[in-house]
Amino acid sequence: MLALLPRLRRFAIGLCGNASDGDDLCQMTLERALANRSRWEEGTRLDSWMYRIMRNIWIDEGRKVTRSMQTFVAEDAGLGVGGDGAQEAAVELGNVDRAMQKLPEDQREAVLLVMVEGYAYKEAAEIVGCPVGTLNSRLVRGRDALMAILGEAS
Amino acid sequence: MTIRPEDIAAFADGELSGDREAEIAAAVAADPALAEQVERHKAMKTMLGAHYAPVLDQPVPDRLASMLAKPEDAEVVDFAAARQTRESRKRLPHWGWVAGPALAASLALAVFLPGQGVESSAYADAQLAAVLDDRLVADQSQTDDVRVLLSFRNDEGRYCRAFSAQTGGGIACNTEDGWRLEAIGAGGEGAATEYRMAGAGDAQILALAQEMASGPALDAAAEKEAQEQGWR
Repeated sequence: MLALLPRLRRFAIGLCGNASDGDDLCQMTLERALANRSRWEEGTRLDSWMYRIMRNIWIDEGRKVTRSMQTFVAEDAGLGVGGDGAQEAAVELGNVDRAMQKLPEDQREAVLLVMVEGYAYKEAAEIVGCPVGTLNSRLVRGRDALMAILGEAS
Repeated sequence: MTIRPEDIAAFADGELSGDREAEIAAAVAADPALAEQVERHKAMKTMLGAHYAPVLDQPVPDRLASMLAKPEDAEVVDFAAARQTRESRKRLPHWGWVAGPALAASLALAVFLPGQGVESSAYADAQLAAVLDDRLVADQSQTDDVRVLLSFRNDEGRYCRAFSAQTGGGIACNTEDGWRLEAIGAGGEGAATEYRMAGAGDAQILALAQEMASGPALDAAAEKEAQEQGWR
């Protein structure tokens, strides 16, 4: 699990759009994974199992909290991954974070799992719990939306 | 034949196989507009990968790492290879993320050093050599039969690449005579489960790579440059 942490953080930060919310999500994921460790089946992939836990918590929390916070998301997202201000590329990085936050949840997770985490469609679909074809079309819609948003910005 | 954007994405991600792949490949070759879509998809993937990559190099916040440092952590990976895994985890401070999937593996894998199991004159066959020559870590798919785990330089300054395959991975270093196999891992029983058992022995291979390397693993840019110069 320790070795998986950096990857889990990457996924969490991608989903949440900033490091502090991402680390909170990571913490909740670890808590749930440790509490349910006996439910992980030997011989299956630990990483897929943990991504699935993280993704489910994110969806649940999103339903509870994010809806009412929607108006703040656009501003917060500007403080994203690379946004510590010291990096030259901070502005550009902020654009990607903002664009990602504009995607619907189902498209955002599909884009992250396949294009960042490098999962095969089948594996990503199992993490999300949808058919492969659905995952494929969410990925395409998410990608096209990203291209459109980033295209406008540049 | 109608080609949907989904087909193009799946093709660009290496998700198609057999007739369907050949069909789309032919269509892409014949239509510059489709070829551009494939390129744009790959470019987006590269851009997103680069955008989020710095997170992997950031130190994990203590509040997260400490959750796993509690005594009961020992039970978390409670399977046959637990001890082995903990050992390799200790030995993989920098490359641990690459070995992540290996934590799920309950297979034993032997890594043979030259003189033990591999003829010292063993070289990669044409198929493996082609992968080692061309494939970059950044643009491969989880579903590829052979995956390159990482590239590094050994003490002699030669480029070496650690790879993982269904039948066992290993490490090969480029010499004047081709890719010389420095270590070969043998896959174990049950390698063909529903999930690809990626990294059945990746942790051991990576641990060995770390011993052989004279510096850190190449990043995407350095790897691309080395590839363009023929790994010399």
